[in-house]
Amino acid sequence: MATPNEPAAPMTLSNDEVLRYSRHLIMPEVGVEGQQRIKAARVLCVGTGGLGSPLALYLAAAGVGTLGLVDFDVVDYTNLQRQIIHTTGDVGRSKVQSAAEKIAAINPFVQVLRFEAKLTSANAMEIFREFDIIADGTDNFATRYLVNDACVLSGKPNVYASIFRFEGQASVFGAGSGPCYRCLYPEPPPPGSVPSCVEGGVLGVLPGLLGVIQATEVIKLILGAGDSLIGRLLLVDALAMRFREVKISRDPECPVCGANPTVKELIDYEQFCGVRSQESSGAVVQVPEIQPEELKRKLDGGADVFVLDVREPHEYQICNLGGHLIPLGELPQRVHELDRSREIVAHCKGGVRSAKAVAFLQGAGFEKVSSLAGGILAWADKVDSKMPKY
Amino acid sequence: MIRVIIPAHLRTLARVEGEVRVEVEGVATQRAVLDALEERYPMLRGTIRDHVTQKRRPFVRFFACERDLSHEAPDARLPDAVIAGTEPFLIVGAIAGG
Ligand SMILES: [Zn+2]
Repeated sequence: MATPNEPAAPMTLSNDEVLRYSRHLIMPEVGVEGQQRIKAARVLCVGTGGLGSPLALYLAAAGVGTLGLVDFDVVDYTNLQRQIIHTTGDVGRSKVQSAAEKIAAINPFVQVLRFEAKLTSANAMEIFREFDIIADGTDNFATRYLVNDACVLSGKPNVYASIFRFEGQASVFGAGSGPCYRCLYPEPPPPGSVPSCVEGGVLGVLPGLLGVIQATEVIKLILGAGDSLIGRLLLVDALAMRFREVKISRDPECPVCGANPTVKELIDYEQFCGVRSQESSGAVVQVPEIQPEELKRKLDGGADVFVLDVREPHEYQICNLGGHLIPLGELPQRVHELDRSREIVAHCKGGVRSAKAVAFLQGAGFEKVSSLAGGILAWADKVDSKMPKY
Repeated sequence: MIRVIIPAHLRTLARVEGEVRVEVEGVATQRAVLDALEERYPMLRGTIRDHVTQKRRPFVRFFACERDLSHEAPDARLPDAVIAGTEPFLIVGAIAGG
């Protein structure tokens, strides 16, 4: 039984609740006692995005008595393809507010605790104190390590899922004798080496699949029923529609949950994940940059500028600046297509890949190369509002 | 013939779809499979194993037959089912999307 805090006195169910949860109540695995446990449970959803949307919706419908929502973001149009708790009318609104409204509409018996803030090392322990189970639906490595460490330090299970393109991973970390996230992945990939969903995309229904797996694991932990994903990593491939599971175990030398932990309090996770330098320079590596307005002036003025697009062909189809397309991965083999006497401006979607391209070209002896700051997205924002954004 | 499944972003890098199949001469070990993989897809060098130390990178793990092989010796023989091609060798990388 993995639920850390069993309710002292069982919560009674009103007649309305008995009717609402009748399909649960008639199952022996849930029953009145199980439903009372669900009502007494306090679950924190970190993130109200792709994973957090189905997770929060199902937990609310199932009758989790207290649901916490942490998010600092506002809804934008690119969210709507998968973040089903938010609607078109919510664009521009706080995600927490938007999600809280939907939860109230689905189940008024749920108390929603709103945290309209970024989860940080400064506030995580205090926020986690209010809850029994933490569900991690965040979208970056820094917050993933923060959630993991805060769960281990506070002794609370971390119901985990993450997604990329057509694939997902799910597990329950930091519970019982099972491993934590750091046991599995002691260090994050260098920033920019593994694309985020912003750069690499994600199939809209995939977070639905994985978020519902998280919701299932949360309910099972509350009920103490079934076999939890503790000590197992579920690998989902939606393209092949194949679910594999692999056994994972605790690392005795894990810096946070091992025998001699070195991480005894929350650390600076952005530094740990190396994202601070990335944010300050707008790119993974420090390379010469050109602002969209300046590139526009040069092109309009007839300057001899060669625009190099290092995105993938399918991205070029969505929108382009008429540049010469060489995907970043092909650049080393196709560098001979470039004239090193000309000024070259490389661009991608957001500026990460083009910075790598410029660093590569500099290493190959190109001198007049720069990266379009903020990529074609910044061009769409600052120069050409008709350019489709993706 | 060994079936290998690599992370999605590395498939993009290597320009492959689905499983990769590699031939290994001699005893099929992690090292032999990874050497063959990098030989065929040089752009994968440094992404799974460190360029210099040739050790598995900490955000990557190896699995097969539901077992975690990440801490096996690089020259240990792979499970029979992997050698027979009935089970793939899984290279799994950390992802963070949500
Ligand atoms: Zn651990």
